[in-house]
Amino acid sequence: MSTKPKVSLRGLFKIFGANGKEALQHVKNGMGKEDLLAQHQHVLGLQDINVDMQAGEITVVMGLSGSGKSTLIRHLNRLIDPTDGEIWVDGEDVMKLNEDELCKIRQDKMSMVFQKFALLPHRTVLQNAGMALKVRGESEETQNSEAMKWLERVGLQGFENHYPAQLSGGMQQRVGIARALTANTDIMLMDEAFSALDPLIRTDMQDLLLELQQELHKTIVFITHDLDEALKLADHLVILKDGAVVQQGEPQGILLNPADPYIEDFVSDINRARVLKVSSVMGKVKKGAKYAGDVQIGDNLESMIALSNGETGKIYRVLDGKEVIGQLDMLDLVKSLVPRISSGKG
Amino acid sequence: MAFYDGLFNTLGLKEWCSQGSSEAPMSMADLLAKGKGEEVTGPLFPFPSLDNLNESCGNISQTRDVTKGIEEGFLAIKPAMKTVLDPITQPLSWLLDGALWTFEAVPWFIMIPILLAISWYASRSKAVTIFVAIAILLLALVDHYDVAMQTLSIIFVCTGISVLLGVPIGIAMSKSDRLQKSTVPILDLLQTLPSFVYLIPLIFLFSVAESKLYGIAIILYAIVPVIRLTDLGIRLVDKDVIEAANAFGMDSKQRLVGVELPLALPNIMAGVNQTIMMSLAMVVIASLVSAPGLGVNVLRGIRNLELGVGIVAGIGIVILAVILDRVSKAALSRVDMTHKTH
Repeated sequence: MSTKPKVSLRGLFKIFGANGKEALQHVKNGMGKEDLLAQHQHVLGLQDINVDMQAGEITVVMGLSGSGKSTLIRHLNRLIDPTDGEIWVDGEDVMKLNEDELCKIRQDKMSMVFQKFALLPHRTVLQNAGMALKVRGESEETQNSEAMKWLERVGLQGFENHYPAQLSGGMQQRVGIARALTANTDIMLMDEAFSALDPLIRTDMQDLLLELQQELHKTIVFITHDLDEALKLADHLVILKDGAVVQQGEPQGILLNPADPYIEDFVSDINRARVLKVSSVMGKVKKGAKYAGDVQIGDNLESMIALSNGETGKIYRVLDGKEVIGQLDMLDLVKSLVPRISSGKG
Repeated sequence: MAFYDGLFNTLGLKEWCSQGSSEAPMSMADLLAKGKGEEVTGPLFPFPSLDNLNESCGNISQTRDVTKGIEEGFLAIKPAMKTVLDPITQPLSWLLDGALWTFEAVPWFIMIPILLAISWYASRSKAVTIFVAIAILLLALVDHYDVAMQTLSIIFVCTGISVLLGVPIGIAMSKSDRLQKSTVPILDLLQTLPSFVYLIPLIFLFSVAESKLYGIAIILYAIVPVIRLTDLGIRLVDKDVIEAANAFGMDSKQRLVGVELPLALPNIMAGVNQTIMMSLAMVVIASLVSAPGLGVNVLRGIRNLELGVGIVAGIGIVILAVILDRVSKAALSRVDMTHKTH
């Protein structure tokens, strides 16, 4: 793709401590996180982050706790200032903005959904949802009608006059999402938005997000520590470890070709049949093959196994719409289900 | 022969010391001893205090010179302070006198319903309002209505000003750690200094005939809790909510008015409650410097040993305190900003 990325991070460093600039030199000279903490009492938050986030895509940043993912997302709207590096949003250097311009860009371009919901407890659900418009100084009528529209969209009609504390966690997060949608910004930042919810509701919310994304095509930056969630949502997956990007790219690619043992360990636990798609394992059409049937490129492998009844001898023709683009050997499929064993373990 | 003579001799300061010495008796004890014709005998090893050192070396000041110095220093800056403080604090006198006049001028059959209406509006509680009605009628029955109204008018003005000044100070403190660090010792001082002590410089500064004298004393004493709890309340606002406010681009004013103050309100109200209680405590002491009201009767009870007068006035103050406390507490409990209960 030749289009300019919507959000772009260039050489981003964040060091927590009294004298970050000085500590930065040590890091640039190759000092690690542990040494920096032991010798200089500074915490390395992020090191040399280079990520492009494309318009209309969901970019998922995944990492374990302490990997710097929440720090990373707060750099996009400068809730945290970087020690070094550039942040570009819509071709604008966010680092060059003054206080007022920063408020403006936060109002107009970015909205945020928080892990702990962070709703205003003294405002009703309706007022919470319309908060971004109120900050922008829109009329109360617009606030309420817009807020109402999105509350209905996330399934909260009838609750608009309740207060956040009267709602369950899942409903509160729906308010959080409605609040971000009402802001009607191109970019949505979601900081572990679903991590505090129980698994069933989490699945619901993921489906809701994908459904909304189908029609809205926002640029979403999603933070999570859950690989299944990351694989389900991501168009572009960024994996963080100790504040550095270990691997980024298309999720299927990462799953099939993990770049290092850390990621191999990570991906070895998940249900590959559900995540991998036909497109990732299919081969070229060979002449003379006998096809047991036609399948679509977007089908996942789980449905293929069900279709073939578990027989490994079958070969299917792969279609993209109506066009034939390849074939799928069930034997390849079965092989791809075995995770590549971490090289460290022999 | 004083104990520390030897010390100054060995230090070679004998000459310097003798410059300031005088043979005149320096204290009442000296004078009495001289009269009896005997030498004062102190303890075996006296502490090297100013007075004891002075006995050996006349050039060292005595402790009474220190207190005298403070007094002279204060008197020296007094004219300057007076020119600055007098005009600034003049409106306080007008307010206090005006409120006093109003509370006295409005006849009881209008005043009592107004007070009850305020109680109802603040507390929305039938029980509290009925209690206030009974309490006021009881006070009026024993002819303490007028003095109670005087006390109430003073509290009304002083609490109002304390809140008007205290809340902004508290907000400023919550925004700046440095300001908080420098203000807290002053607040500690105001709270721990015995209330009589800061009446002393005020008496020097202002005439006892002016009502602002007791007004300032009450405000200084009572403003502390509202400052402290405003500061605390704003600092206790959930950091996640503040972060959300920032993320949606609120500027500092929108954040203060829309998020911080409403969420800090329960704490601020608790501060106001404490401020009311403390100004009521101070109003009695302030009667020493001509504050009218129930305190005057208490003072009369002490001065003239009129047991009954003192006790009735004291109970009157208790009743007033309970009224103010119940009404403000009921108002406080009504401020449930999070709506946790349906």
